[in-house]
Amino acid sequence: MFNYLAKKFNLVRLLRKQSTQNANGKKQSGLKISPHLKQNLETLKKTFKESNDFVIREFSFGSKEEPINVALVYIEGLVAKTSINDDIMKPLMYDSSFAGFINTYQPNDIIAFIDERLLSMADSIKVSNLEEVVEGCLDGHTILLVEGETQALSISNQGWERRSISEPQGEVVVRGPREGFTETLRINTSLLRRKIHNPDLVLEMLKVGQKTRTNVCIAYIAGIADDGVVQEVKNRIEDIKTDAILESGYIEQFIEDAPFSPFATIGNSEKPDVVAAKLLEGRVAILVDGSPVVLTVPFLFIEGFQSAEDYYSRPYYSSLVRILRYMGFLFSLYGPGFFVAVVAFHQELIPDALIITISSAMEGTPFPVALEAIGMGIVFEILREAGVRLPKAVGQSVSIVGALVLGDAVVSAGFVSSTMVIVVAFTAIASFVVTSHSDAESIIRFVMTLLGSALGLFGITIGTIGILIHLSALRSFGSPYLSPLAPISWLDLKDTFLRFPLWAMITRPKTIGWNNYQRESLDLIPKPPQKKKDK
Amino acid sequence: MKLEGGKIPANQLVFLIIGFIYGTVVIINPGRAAGNDAWLAFIVSMLVGLCFAAIYVILAQRFQTKNLLEINDLVFGPYLGKLISLVYLWYFFHLGAIVLRNFGDFLAGIIFPETPISVFLITMVLICASAVRNGIEVIGRTSIILTIITTIILVLTSLLSIPLMDFNNLLPILQTTKLKEFLTTVLISATFPFGETVVFLMIFSTVNNPKKLKLTTLIAFLFGGGLLLIQAIRNIAVLGTLMDIYTYPSYTAVRAVNIFEVITRIEILVVINFLTMGFIKVTVLYYAVSLGTAQLLKLKSYLPVVLPIGILMICLSLLQFESSFENSYFTYTIYPFYALPFQIFLPLLTLLVAIIRGKKGVPG
Repeated sequence: MFNYLAKKFNLVRLLRKQSTQNANGKKQSGLKISPHLKQNLETLKKTFKESNDFVIREFSFGSKEEPINVALVYIEGLVAKTSINDDIMKPLMYDSSFAGFINTYQPNDIIAFIDERLLSMADSIKVSNLEEVVEGCLDGHTILLVEGETQALSISNQGWERRSISEPQGEVVVRGPREGFTETLRINTSLLRRKIHNPDLVLEMLKVGQKTRTNVCIAYIAGIADDGVVQEVKNRIEDIKTDAILESGYIEQFIEDAPFSPFATIGNSEKPDVVAAKLLEGRVAILVDGSPVVLTVPFLFIEGFQSAEDYYSRPYYSSLVRILRYMGFLFSLYGPGFFVAVVAFHQELIPDALIITISSAMEGTPFPVALEAIGMGIVFEILREAGVRLPKAVGQSVSIVGALVLGDAVVSAGFVSSTMVIVVAFTAIASFVVTSHSDAESIIRFVMTLLGSALGLFGITIGTIGILIHLSALRSFGSPYLSPLAPISWLDLKDTFLRFPLWAMITRPKTIGWNNYQRESLDLIPKPPQKKKDK
Repeated sequence: MKLEGGKIPANQLVFLIIGFIYGTVVIINPGRAAGNDAWLAFIVSMLVGLCFAAIYVILAQRFQTKNLLEINDLVFGPYLGKLISLVYLWYFFHLGAIVLRNFGDFLAGIIFPETPISVFLITMVLICASAVRNGIEVIGRTSIILTIITTIILVLTSLLSIPLMDFNNLLPILQTTKLKEFLTTVLISATFPFGETVVFLMIFSTVNNPKKLKLTTLIAFLFGGGLLLIQAIRNIAVLGTLMDIYTYPSYTAVRAVNIFEVITRIEILVVINFLTMGFIKVTVLYYAVSLGTAQLLKLKSYLPVVLPIGILMICLSLLQFESSFENSYFTYTIYPFYALPFQIFLPLLTLLVAIIRGKKGVPG
């Protein structure tokens, strides 16, 4: 054992040593662009290890006697080829002869001249560092290097294959916008901009991941979002020192408040309207390049029960649906556990007529009721997992085999009682009502079943108190997770169990956007038009 | 040295006090001796309890951010103060053990007759320990939800019992009980549960708005007393004179509920109430003892003492009574006189000495 510990210790020491070396190695880079074009190109070739998608196009233009040698470097597939042809090469090689180029040519401002007079590209910046050249290439920029110059032009003409905007599969709505985020960061930010036409919407870019150098964007509305939360988000993201950020889930796991909790403390959505609404309540959104899932913080427990559609349809039915969601959540947590507890310990709770039905169904089944509940729970989770990963056509056959054949056969063969199948099936349906907390739901359901089978309703109550303690102790970026329930804030109950009419939602949530709390004027309730006095 | 950095808003204190007052009374009926006048005895004892609470609140407001132990140190000097603090801590500790034992007796005696009592004590203490370790903020937040659930359940069970109620059972008023019995009941229910709120002297200092303490405590007492009153009236109206016979009248009263043969035997709801409210009561006492012990021993954090105190509490609650009958004998005859010094004499003495010696807490 001591050997094992010593090895661990050595490993940790080794890792520490390596990380300091890495830090030292990083400082050495930062080479300036040299005036010799050939030398620059050699360095770049070496940097890219002769990768075959790294393209160098050398050409020259200007007078025959004093040609200007330039080179375009870019990465094949990340740039728009037509734009290079029409907007970079054509002006330089062809249009330059008409622009009085030869006459005004002076060696020291050639870069400025190209940038200001020749290129017909909207977005270009001057760089003077080879590192910036490399980074620009990797971001999909086209770099123009000029012989004899210590600066280069980084021209933004990214163009790669991208998925078109489509309706997200996970968040389907009947009423409301159908568009969803895509994998491209710029498109996602533009979707947000199109929802909120306001210069106060701030987008801040960060680069995360030492190997992947992924673009991460923090979005918030200045004046509504709490500055402390914004700073905290930035700090936490900047502290991530890891190789790769491939999806926003990576960021989520590195910055969440409660890494050991089954409950998520960071929200996510694929819909721009949802994210815009959260931003307007004072939350901060984190967009990650390459992921259509946008994170929002702080995330409260009750957000799992809110859906975008609640706000688009009229309040009465949305309130009813919301209460049903809470019921579904409770049922999916307690369903099997409660059933097991009642059948095993508290039979007196069941009405007389029902207990006869239940007991006759249970007669002859070989396993104790707790084992049935846990076994069927596991079967359900397996069926669900099998259905999710398969293509749609095969997935349907899995659900038919699983639900109809297996469910029916298991009862008629006398393995499991039909009551248990009903309970587990309904629990499964109920668990789909609240998707945000679904992973916590599954885990807690098993725990509750175990507690219920061991200690009856006493166990379940104790388990519930335990969960409550855990939830009350959680915080998401400074906001108590259970607010507005505990700590109670009466104003925010307007959007918790019931969805009040929009004209009654005067304030923003108290724990999130309270430094600018009024979001609408007081007297918005629709009234019949005022009658004229003389009538 | 600050052992508890958390602050709770005044509205959480309301829920905490309500939960604490309603605590064990869910099951155990302190107004046993008064028969069908118990409800009246509750009202009187609530007023007496309010007088007790007035002393605590005045004391707490005089010393703003100081808790009970710090007040003792200030008022009685470091040595005598420590001794008095120790006496208080013993009381909180013992009370916690008694509440735990009530739990165990009820669950092992009525609900799970074949399970040993220690199972319930250990589970309960573990869950309370996790709350105590999370600090007063979490205890406060948990109490909100639990108290609201309990109130709903109490109102629900009372509404469902309406068909069984006979309000003539409440009559005649003050005819069948002698004055002595009535006063005994008042004494019993003033010390249990109202006087037990002396433990909140450890918690008043964490309330972020000490000026609201008076109003907060008044509301909490009225609401908590109201819950007791609803329960007492329900039990008397359903059970009538039989109420004195049962050890756990609420349980028996709700047991009789039968709506269309569908909602029957819902007494388990009373058990759930008992568990949630008892949880709050044990947790508050447990928290006070842990914090106080750490303060007395000058520890940097109270976390290391939480589990040992819990284990000792389990041991004491197992050892102190031979049987549940001994427990209820103790509750009705000895406990009121045992508790009075801690609940009224010591706080009153502290207040008087503080006034005479001119000791005051520095505000802020």
